[in-house]
Amino acid sequence: MSPLDTVLRDPDTPRITLDRPADYLHAQHTLRSWFFTTDHKRIALLYLASITGFFILGACAAGLVRLSLVVPNGQIFSNDTYNKLFTMHGVIMIWFFLIPSIPATFGNFLIPLMIGAKDLAFPRLNLLSWYVFMLGSLFTIVVLIVGGVDTGWTFYAPFSTTYSNTYVIPALVGVIIVGFSSILTGLNFVVTIHKMRCPGMTWFRMPIFVWTHYAVSLIFLLGTPVITLALMLLVMERAFHIGVFDPRLGGDPVLFEHLFWFYSHPAVYIMVLPGMGVVTELVAAFSQKRVFGYKFVAYASIGLASITFLVWGHHMFVNGQSQLASTVFSFLSFAVAVPSAVKVYNWTATIHKGTIRLDTPMLYAMGYIGLFVLGGVTGLFLATLAVDAHLHDTYFVVAHFHYIMVGGTMLAFLGGLHYWWPKFTGRMYPEAWGRVGAFLIFIGFNVTFFPQFILGYLGMPRRYHSYPPEFQLLNVLSSAGSTILAVGYFFPLGYLIWSLWFGKKAPANPWQAKGLEWTTSSPPPAHNFLRTPVVDYQPYDYANKTRDNG
Amino acid sequence: MADIGIAAEPVDLELAEQFTTKAQQREAATLGMWAWLVTELLLFAGLFLCALILRIQHPQSVTLVTTHLKFWIGATNTVVLICSSLTMSAAIVTSRLGWRRFMLGALLATASLGSLFLLLKGFEYYQDYDEHMMPFLADRSYVLAHDQASVLFLDVYYITTGLHGVHLITGISILLWLTWKASRPAFLQTHQNRIEIYGLYWHFIDLIWIIVFPVLYVLNR
Repeated sequence: MSPLDTVLRDPDTPRITLDRPADYLHAQHTLRSWFFTTDHKRIALLYLASITGFFILGACAAGLVRLSLVVPNGQIFSNDTYNKLFTMHGVIMIWFFLIPSIPATFGNFLIPLMIGAKDLAFPRLNLLSWYVFMLGSLFTIVVLIVGGVDTGWTFYAPFSTTYSNTYVIPALVGVIIVGFSSILTGLNFVVTIHKMRCPGMTWFRMPIFVWTHYAVSLIFLLGTPVITLALMLLVMERAFHIGVFDPRLGGDPVLFEHLFWFYSHPAVYIMVLPGMGVVTELVAAFSQKRVFGYKFVAYASIGLASITFLVWGHHMFVNGQSQLASTVFSFLSFAVAVPSAVKVYNWTATIHKGTIRLDTPMLYAMGYIGLFVLGGVTGLFLATLAVDAHLHDTYFVVAHFHYIMVGGTMLAFLGGLHYWWPKFTGRMYPEAWGRVGAFLIFIGFNVTFFPQFILGYLGMPRRYHSYPPEFQLLNVLSSAGSTILAVGYFFPLGYLIWSLWFGKKAPANPWQAKGLEWTTSSPPPAHNFLRTPVVDYQPYDYANKTRDNG
Repeated sequence: MADIGIAAEPVDLELAEQFTTKAQQREAATLGMWAWLVTELLLFAGLFLCALILRIQHPQSVTLVTTHLKFWIGATNTVVLICSSLTMSAAIVTSRLGWRRFMLGALLATASLGSLFLLLKGFEYYQDYDEHMMPFLADRSYVLAHDQASVLFLDVYYITTGLHGVHLITGISILLWLTWKASRPAFLQTHQNRIEIYGLYWHFIDLIWIIVFPVLYVLNR
């Protein structure tokens, strides 16, 4: 190996400490340098701070919903307040937390690092999308808190356009605005992944994390405009009586469900796919093994993004959809299980015979795999036509999608946050506290949501604030679980903030992980790499013991 | 180019810091605009699909509505937009050659044709109003009130053409801003590709109308 070759393979070696430029956190200090930054890493942290705030608000609303359900007769809050609370929980968690969560924070921070680019293709557009996001989300949140909306996050017509007496239009306007932020982020990622890869970074040398974000960006680009249209039509009908959904105005209510779920089912994969990308990175790093069946996992991401556009009808099995359509949608919904299972089996095969370390990120990844399987399999129950007739709109559905979104996305988000925390901040988090927090969240989550499967199976409908007294025990159990979950969330919130000042300084690669993001310093310099990396090796090159990095 | 008496200016691109080469920057900008146009297509696709499904479900009602739509205004507007695409192409070609004055003229011509489209469209809406073709106005009777199924198609017509109009208004505003920017001497030397990128958007608005026109006005007339 020539000396030049070593330099190319390992960008870490030639760095001279004295000449090192300040990292991106310390390059500038003013408030202005944060709010007008075009650095993708700083924008990622802006997103991280904002969505954490939104998550806390959404979680408070959820806590109040669970509090209300402790008693069967709904004495704690009025009907209207209860409806506003679960709407607030759903709108904030889905539109303002889960959808931007992993893509806008980790994706923003890591995609350029992972493909060896200096920044995203359009840095100013990236900053604009944060401002657009904040404008829309803060506006809607103020509306939700001050006025309240009672339609649920789904805004079904004609209730939302004709009958609801709450502040539907302002809430819709905010959600529409946030959609533009998603589109701009997706556009930026697609162009970046196509055009900004460093020399030698071919498509099949990209980490799975980048693949899943590519798939998600396609959903952002193809799905979001349709929900923008659907919500715009709602505004038109409610504000100007241009009838599109209300039959009395000449409209068709099922049309809204078609337009809504054409985006909102793929939106589930906006939430899940990035989580899958995170878990793939975690599993490979903490097993010190190349991802099993790398190409299949990559293709499965694109496969999921494609099939997910063809299953929206499974939300309408009992809404007067034709038998033929329901059968086709049911079949296609089963088909989603195939790429999902490819991923799960490949993760377990990656762990198999690996050098496993059970650090906090890996605990979250393991939790993710287990809960995602449970959430996925119960999805198959719901995709079965006859079973869905029984389970539709019950707590079984609620439990199912919380297993996917909280058990899936949220655990992946926390796992990824711990894994890349040293890279983001240059500090290590306290490992022992991390593990305790991960266990609490896992236990709290299951105690909260598993009883809801049983409740739903027994016939408790969702979105009601009173229920027959025989369901009280399971409801109390679920509410008790949610307090454990809440305590669990306070752990990372506390010690991660603590670590910003008191955490151990992080080395460039604390996990002995492979991937370009670990070849640069922690935290990285302003333009990510001191010199453009050149890649001449496969992804997840763990078999190559001669190199520590990259 | 001295033989036709137009002074050509140097044409180039200023390299932004996140890119390594100008070719990369150009390709990224083009791909970015195409990605945006895909989202625009999807935005309209839902409406086109609604219109087509209504044509299958309620052919008679839809035909009744289309006979009331102003076919000749729509057809004239189609020609107007195609001409504006021609002037836009002229602006792109002349921007590549560095013929700044010619290019500015072509950009202004494009903006004028776009505005002419909006004027004609406004006149068409006025005629629709005059003929009691606005079912959503509570204080005004609807001429096809005996046919409830016609309402949805007509509403889709207003929303589709209205959304297209909003795109034209934004398009013309950006175009005027771009023309003002491009009138500065250094523009072609640093940002020539903005004209090309904008051209993609303008052609696309044109293309959307070319789908709107047959779907709403022409089929089954």
